[in-house]
Amino acid sequence: MTEHAAKSSVRTLRVPENYRGLVACAILFGVMAILTRDVAAAGNLRSIGSSVVPLFLLALGQMTVMISGGIDLSVTGTMALVSVAGAVVMRETGSAFAGVTAMLTAGAGVGMLNGGAVAWLRLPPFMVTLTSQMFLSGMAVWAVQSKNIGGLPAGFMGLGKEVPIAAGAAVVCGIVGHLLLRRSVWGRQLFAAGFNAETARFSGLPVPWVRIRSYVASGLLAAVAAVILTARLETGSPVLGQRMLLDVIGAAVLGGVSLRGGRGHVLWVLGGALFFAILDNALNLLGLSHFRIMMVKGGVILAAAALDAWRIKAR
Amino acid sequence: MNRFCRSFLLLPLLLSACNDSGPQKPKIGVAFETLQTEFWVAGFDAIKAECAKAGYEAVEAVADGDANRQLEQVQNFITRKVDGIILVPKDANTCLPMIKAANDAGIPISLFNRPSAQTDAKSVAVVADNFALTKETVLYMIGEAKKTGQKHHAMVIMGDLGDMNAIGRRDGFDAAVKEAGEGVIEVVSRVPSEWNQEKAQAGVTNALQANPAISFIFTSSDFLLPSIVSALKAAGKYHKSGGPGHVILGGFDGDATAWQMLQDGYLDATGVQDVYFEARKCVEAVHEMKAGKTLPALIQDPGFVIHRDNMKEKAAQMWGAQIKK
Repeated sequence: MTEHAAKSSVRTLRVPENYRGLVACAILFGVMAILTRDVAAAGNLRSIGSSVVPLFLLALGQMTVMISGGIDLSVTGTMALVSVAGAVVMRETGSAFAGVTAMLTAGAGVGMLNGGAVAWLRLPPFMVTLTSQMFLSGMAVWAVQSKNIGGLPAGFMGLGKEVPIAAGAAVVCGIVGHLLLRRSVWGRQLFAAGFNAETARFSGLPVPWVRIRSYVASGLLAAVAAVILTARLETGSPVLGQRMLLDVIGAAVLGGVSLRGGRGHVLWVLGGALFFAILDNALNLLGLSHFRIMMVKGGVILAAAALDAWRIKAR
Repeated sequence: MNRFCRSFLLLPLLLSACNDSGPQKPKIGVAFETLQTEFWVAGFDAIKAECAKAGYEAVEAVADGDANRQLEQVQNFITRKVDGIILVPKDANTCLPMIKAANDAGIPISLFNRPSAQTDAKSVAVVADNFALTKETVLYMIGEAKKTGQKHHAMVIMGDLGDMNAIGRRDGFDAAVKEAGEGVIEVVSRVPSEWNQEKAQAGVTNALQANPAISFIFTSSDFLLPSIVSALKAAGKYHKSGGPGHVILGGFDGDATAWQMLQDGYLDATGVQDVYFEARKCVEAVHEMKAGKTLPALIQDPGFVIHRDNMKEKAAQMWGAQIKK
């Protein structure tokens, strides 16, 4: 083969960066479908669809914060508090609309508090969000005395049952997220602040406000995820999603979002969340225990983080 | 494409060829919330043994305390077209969509040891009467307290109040104290453990600090006994029955720790759930529902109270005593 032909065949194999995660998902799905045919069953595709939606929403919010150079460890505590707050409102008013409004407001409020502490008080994001995770989780349990709240309005429960509704919400959030990140002034400022905060500050960018908005976005998206999960489980739960944090960060990192800030794309997060959902689902169908699945996922996240570190060194 | 890449791409085909394509046994999906305590491990093993006896293959899933994961696992069972599902729900409410999904798929579902909340969805729950068994246990403990001729300050360690079993045990404790504890028992501390040993230990330690006179403790589950023992030892209050300073101690479940403590004289009584009965009834329920029979929504495990006076005759029925052997 001539050198020109070799280079051409390499170019045809090269996948655009934004779609690599989705191609990896397709390959993973193909391999798993060979190992267990149940993966491709219509019911199982619906299962994968319903499990990827909340993970994608949470990872989208995490990406927004990570692009700004931060991290949000409070997302599961936010979900728990939002879940019980919404359930209490719906139990008292009987209104799904009031409940959802309360949940989104609570999520945005938590984001505002996290962002304020990080941006204005200049506290490390890891510490702020870790302590708010503890506070929010404790508050959720205390508020309802560990009890779950059932008997939610039928209209609300439909939001979680119908995969198209949940998927539609995720698509809307993904499109809005993409437009804000790629087509808005705030998006450009976010990337600049994440890539080099000092330079951004000296250039006159309002770095604190840029960061606060990223945390508000994360809190809001956590609230949307909480709406879907609460509806799906038909219960306001003070421990909603408590074990999802590693999956959320893993999905973002696996998709290619940099832990050092300044890099991220909605399609990367979609690829990462889908990869996790397919992997989890397929390993379950193959009969692996939950604990072995955790070991596999831990290995995958570590590999993704190592790849991120190598990519930064290679710049 | 080089030889290595071709081999790599062939690997999935080779692996799929290794899939067993022989005759398949009917399957029961067994979805547990957790395997964190001896009770759940004993239950899991008992269900697997009953499935094997009845000619079913048990397909296992453990949700590690995550209700959403448990829902996904049940959906996976449905995808795999299992012949029945046995579920240990995380709590009474979050299992409702799982039961409905099984009903929609026409797969019979039974609940082991924990009931669901009120619902029209069809399932059979095999549970102990937590209220009655706890009341009987605490009444025995109050009888022991009366023999001392003294008033006792009491502590109750509660479970996760999202779990109907925990609520039943709490209510059973309160009912016993109300019925027979007048002038003998004063409840000075209620420790919420959320079925977590660290929380239980911290709560008991704090309660003993605040109320050093506590001399009567009931725990809603025997798996919290190590935490209580640790706190009692630290407070210098861990003494055998019959000796000075003995804290009247009772529990629920009947695990191996409780059996050992009963034999050693530190534990006064425990309410025992018959794990083997519950496992058998769950598998039978799935089998009978599959055959089209209509069953009651609740099958009660009668359970029993074991204490120092009936230890010898009840040991054979106590699953915790069998584990020790």
